[in-house]
Amino acid sequence: MTAIRINPYPIPDLLSALAQSQQQQQTDLLQLATGRKINQPSDDPAGAAQLVQNLDQQSQADSFQRSMSSVNGQLSTADSTLNSVTTALQRAISLGTEGANGTLSDSDRASVATEVQGIQAQLISLANTAYQGSYVFSGTAQVQPFVADSSQPSGVRYDGNTGVNQVAIGNGYSLAVNVPGSQIFAAPGSDVFQSINDLITALQTNSNIGGAVNEVDTAYNYVTQQRVFYGNGMNQITDQQNNLNTETVNLSSQENTIAGADLSTVISNLVNSQTARQATLQAIGQTTQLNLFNFLPPA
Amino acid sequence: MSGLLGTMSIALSALGTEQGALEVTSNNVANLNTAGYSRQQPVIEESDPVVLGSLTLGTGVTLAKVQSVRDPILQLRIQEETQQQGSLNASVTSMQQAQVLFNSSSGGDIGSQISNFFSSLSQLSTDPTNVSLRQGVLTAAANLAGSFNTTANTLTEQRSSVDLEVSQAVQQVNTLTGQIAQINGQISDLQNIGQDASAFVDQRDVLIGQLSNLIDVSQIQSDHTLTLTTSNGTALVAGQQAFTLTTQPDSSGVQHIYAQGQDITSQLTSGELGGLIQVRDQKIPGILTSLDTLAAGLSNALNTANQAGFDLNGNPGGDLFVAPPASGQGAASSMAVAITDPTLIAASSDGTPGSNGNVAVLSAVHDQPAIAGQTPTDYYANLVFGVGSDVSNGTAELASTQLTLQQLQDQRGSISGVSLDEEASNLIQYQNAYQAAARVVDTVSQMFTTLVNMGAS
Repeated sequence: MTAIRINPYPIPDLLSALAQSQQQQQTDLLQLATGRKINQPSDDPAGAAQLVQNLDQQSQADSFQRSMSSVNGQLSTADSTLNSVTTALQRAISLGTEGANGTLSDSDRASVATEVQGIQAQLISLANTAYQGSYVFSGTAQVQPFVADSSQPSGVRYDGNTGVNQVAIGNGYSLAVNVPGSQIFAAPGSDVFQSINDLITALQTNSNIGGAVNEVDTAYNYVTQQRVFYGNGMNQITDQQNNLNTETVNLSSQENTIAGADLSTVISNLVNSQTARQATLQAIGQTTQLNLFNFLPPA
Repeated sequence: MSGLLGTMSIALSALGTEQGALEVTSNNVANLNTAGYSRQQPVIEESDPVVLGSLTLGTGVTLAKVQSVRDPILQLRIQEETQQQGSLNASVTSMQQAQVLFNSSSGGDIGSQISNFFSSLSQLSTDPTNVSLRQGVLTAAANLAGSFNTTANTLTEQRSSVDLEVSQAVQQVNTLTGQIAQINGQISDLQNIGQDASAFVDQRDVLIGQLSNLIDVSQIQSDHTLTLTTSNGTALVAGQQAFTLTTQPDSSGVQHIYAQGQDITSQLTSGELGGLIQVRDQKIPGILTSLDTLAAGLSNALNTANQAGFDLNGNPGGDLFVAPPASGQGAASSMAVAITDPTLIAASSDGTPGSNGNVAVLSAVHDQPAIAGQTPTDYYANLVFGVGSDVSNGTAELASTQLTLQQLQDQRGSISGVSLDEEASNLIQYQNAYQAAARVVDTVSQMFTTLVNMGAS
């Protein structure tokens, strides 16, 4: 009679089951410790590749946010400088109006002219504003943009250039971040320095003061309009910051989906495997005990 | 009289046979924990009958032979599976070390450094004349080059380590083939005189199993000679002769395996040697080549972009990174920043110092499909996928092979394993038969006495 034989050594199988469950436990513990389910590329190759992309996108979003902070500082500095410029121009207009008064004495008019000269010096200084070591209104040149030069009709020489820098604040989205000083302060027909210089001359020679005041007024309106560029820029930045905040949240949540460990599942797996391990250990303990030799009658 | 003597001798034959059978049982029990042992069965046969007058009488029992129970086909399958396991195990273990280099959680991997570099460029674009921002770009570039260097150099070290394992495995193979050849001699000595050599055959199976773990093995059994070759025909053992393998380094310093003067390195497909050679000669070099492609591609693209602009001094930009080798080989381990002076970064597009126009050109490299038709980050992500899936697929195959091997071992156990229950019940059987035969001897002995005392007064 051929009986069906079974493998008389179940121990190796049980031990290998133990080893497998131990390995799974180690994997689970690592996930618990790191909070991530991808601790090496082989844990989820496709996920690991997606994670590379996701982390790069997060880095880009962070970069854009930092750029925007920096650019916002530049724009806001330029804008508040131009605010001071318009205030100074308003003062010049009221001085000019005062000086146009026919009842003023020559020496009084001369005093007004001197005050306007003071404003001229202030305007030059404002036009040479620097932000973190770089001139705001020099275009892309690195020299002081406005220099007092009596040989020039406006009394001032522009040594900067007309370069405009663009800074990327999003994918495929760049913002112009500066306006050349020549465009703001020396635009033909609305030249700030020309108009101030003309006003000084007019006050000193008591001729056509009214015309000079109109020039300054034109320049004042022009500069006010130029400020719109900076206001728009800062608004665009605010909008884009909000967009990027949302995108950052999305990317972060995507990262968690790709690589974050599902802690509740991991913990319940660990509990289950601990139970299974105990059962296996008991089984190993039991199976080795009995065989027929135990039941042979004593000699 | 011959009747009683005949009966006596029949009983005696039983005693001898049952005692012999008991010895077989005892041997099985003694070898319960011997690796590779195949249980033995006594083959008990009826002795040839004799014709006495009109009667045909049996003449008892003989222990014809002791037979070991094994399935040679199963053994072959186990050895095939062992080769597969050896190969996968070597491959997975080595590649698991390699994939550590591509883990993103440390922040020091190539992918993170690529992101950091482009981030530093983005900062520079907001204030191109700022020297500390420029220095930031150079630092990020150095870190990027450093991550390539470290990754490539570590992989090269791992490859050397695998090379060492190859040498060691070859030595082990030689030891084993020597031992197998010797046992072949012992087996054929016994088989030539018609004896059962099962103890040595069991030992040889264990040795062949160990050999299969190391190298691919094919067996050819002819008469009483066993020949072992690699799957591709190179002789390892022929009867009592072992053919040793030798190793010699090739021009790049890597060990090649020679058998009788022929280079068989690329022909070893299985066993630990097969796996190690695949890792050493294909897998790791493959990753290194990809790294070289990425390093060279990035260096060249960034250099071209830098050359399109002007530095802080108004001069046309030069190379940002040291030009990679023309063949591309070794680009990753030798990647380095070419400048130390931060003013040489060509941020300007028109020569004016405050222009950031060329930073956009440098930054655009991030999105250029310049590395084998992919952007740098895409290329790196694919590399990570490749390395990861190699290990994950290998691990799955290894688990499956181990399961199959276990099932085959279980099967072998069910055929050849010693069962204590079975041996105990055999013990009882043989003992009972022995006791019964002894009783017969006793009885016949009494009958002799009766006979002899017949007619005595």
